[in-house]
Amino acid sequence: MLRTDRLTLAYGNTNVVHELSLAIPTGRISCLVGPNGSGKSTLLKGLAGLIAPRQGEVLLEEQPLSLWSRNELALRLAMLPQKPIVPEGILVKDLVALGRFPHRKWWQRDGREDREASQQAMHMTGVESLGGRPVASLSGGQQQRAWIAMALAQQTDILLLDEPTTYLDWGYQLEVLELLVDLNQTRGLTVIMSLHDLNQAAQFADHVLVLEDGQVKAAGVPGQVITETLLAQVFRVRGAVTLNDEGRPYCIGRGTAKGLHST
Amino acid sequence: MLANARETHKKPLLQRTSVLLWFGCGLILLTPWLGLQFGATDLSWQQVLAGLLGEGSSHVERVVMDLRLPRTLIGLVIGVHFALSGWLLQLLTRNPLAEAGILGISGGASLVAVAAFVVGDWIQPGDNPYAGIPFALQYLPLLAMLGGLLAALAVYGLSLRHGGLSPLKLTLTGAVLAGMLHALTTGGLAFWGHAHTELVAQWLAGSLYGTTWEHLEALLPWTVLGLIGVVILLRPLSAMQLEDEHARSLGLHLNRWRAVALVVAALMAASAVGIVGPVGFLGLLVPHISRRLAGSGLVVQCLMCTALGATLAVVADTLGRAIFAPYELPVGVVSAALGVPFFLYLLSRQP
Repeated sequence: MLRTDRLTLAYGNTNVVHELSLAIPTGRISCLVGPNGSGKSTLLKGLAGLIAPRQGEVLLEEQPLSLWSRNELALRLAMLPQKPIVPEGILVKDLVALGRFPHRKWWQRDGREDREASQQAMHMTGVESLGGRPVASLSGGQQQRAWIAMALAQQTDILLLDEPTTYLDWGYQLEVLELLVDLNQTRGLTVIMSLHDLNQAAQFADHVLVLEDGQVKAAGVPGQVITETLLAQVFRVRGAVTLNDEGRPYCIGRGTAKGLHST
Repeated sequence: MLANARETHKKPLLQRTSVLLWFGCGLILLTPWLGLQFGATDLSWQQVLAGLLGEGSSHVERVVMDLRLPRTLIGLVIGVHFALSGWLLQLLTRNPLAEAGILGISGGASLVAVAAFVVGDWIQPGDNPYAGIPFALQYLPLLAMLGGLLAALAVYGLSLRHGGLSPLKLTLTGAVLAGMLHALTTGGLAFWGHAHTELVAQWLAGSLYGTTWEHLEALLPWTVLGLIGVVILLRPLSAMQLEDEHARSLGLHLNRWRAVALVVAALMAASAVGIVGPVGFLGLLVPHISRRLAGSGLVVQCLMCTALGATLAVVADTLGRAIFAPYELPVGVVSAALGVPFFLYLLSRQP
């Protein structure tokens, strides 16, 4: 299990995440939502062990991340940044094979096990037929699936994604989210991602964490967390929240909440 | 039809690894012949062959064995040094314009080497600046390397920010430092003035003129060391192509491996600078052509760089000897003449 204990993350002298204690449910899809600058990306990097805490800890299986070696951590936890850099001219299959990096020492070359893992990852994400194509030549949705394939080839049980749907067209956004749900259900993958779109978080997440100014404002199942009060308080939006047949909330923004603020 | 059009894409020119390797081997075997065949003395290929086999006249043997063969071999080796150094630096900085000259490594190496010439001349004035250095030729690559390494570390240190390294900042810092080091070198030379300005100026242009077996012996240990370094770096380099945090999330100790790559790149470039002076643009040109030919696989890229770097250096040197014979153009001038248009072309394609 991944959790934080009074975690403070900072860039220079500015605290971005402040004394945050939260737990990520294993085998579920957790979504981080919150306004710009609320610390979503920073928290994700902290959870991935990419930023050393100023105070407090991130704990994986009750062990502080600082006690895990970089490599051991990479075997448990994969991370997909918001805007990954595509290595010049790289083919899809070679990109996916990069996910095998932590499974081999620097003097070792990829073996049969690695090729099978890559193959499987490409199969699950539906990029099998694109293996010989340069990543740069793919559509946005295909590229994102290739990146997810790389993370899957890493064969971790936790996958962190920083706004995996940004820069994608609507259809591709849903395609990526459905893929993540599928992977979560078939493989028990723990997914932690930040999302901009509250409705997508409401539709696809098991667990929603609302961040504001580096602190958790609310956490729990979408139906309980996403309310009209939350829209007004955290997002400064005057909106209506309705529940659909599956009991998942759906928000409509009617305007900014300046008027509401005083009431 | 649309789907069909989507399927087609630019394939690397020579796709199969075996074809590439034969191509590379062919180049490496054929180009030395250029260096042996052409020069101030007209020799037939039979004479060159006889000279190589030790069956020619003493004059032919002297020309082939003492002048042209070591010069050609050094050309091959420094070509590999500059090309692999550039290849490493471009991967390391994720910047296609990176190269030992542009990052200040050659500048640091030159400054220290020229300082060694000056000090050597001061201790023991003579006709040959190499001979003036009491601690002998084999230390020159080492000294130049220290200079190159110091420059590289300075650039690296100045570009670090929040514990990360921005490729853009690295390149800009390098360019500024390179300019400063160049000014210091030229200034030092002007100040020193009297004795061997001409010879050192030629060395500063990057020249294979007058290189001997001793130069080759002084250089080869560093070649071996550098090649070992490159082999060790192959796997980390594959992850270094990704964004910093992405690479670290794969378990890569990024700053550690980056430092190793920088040291190996500085070692290869600066040790070559110590022997033949700064030859610019080989390190820029060769990795690009190699990537075009070899595609994205790092192992094939690296082999291609080795073959093409060696080839291009010898070709440039031979051209420099042939164009205005009996006068010589330093190899650095020829490679710059080839490289500058290419550099401008790359710049124009930068987003």
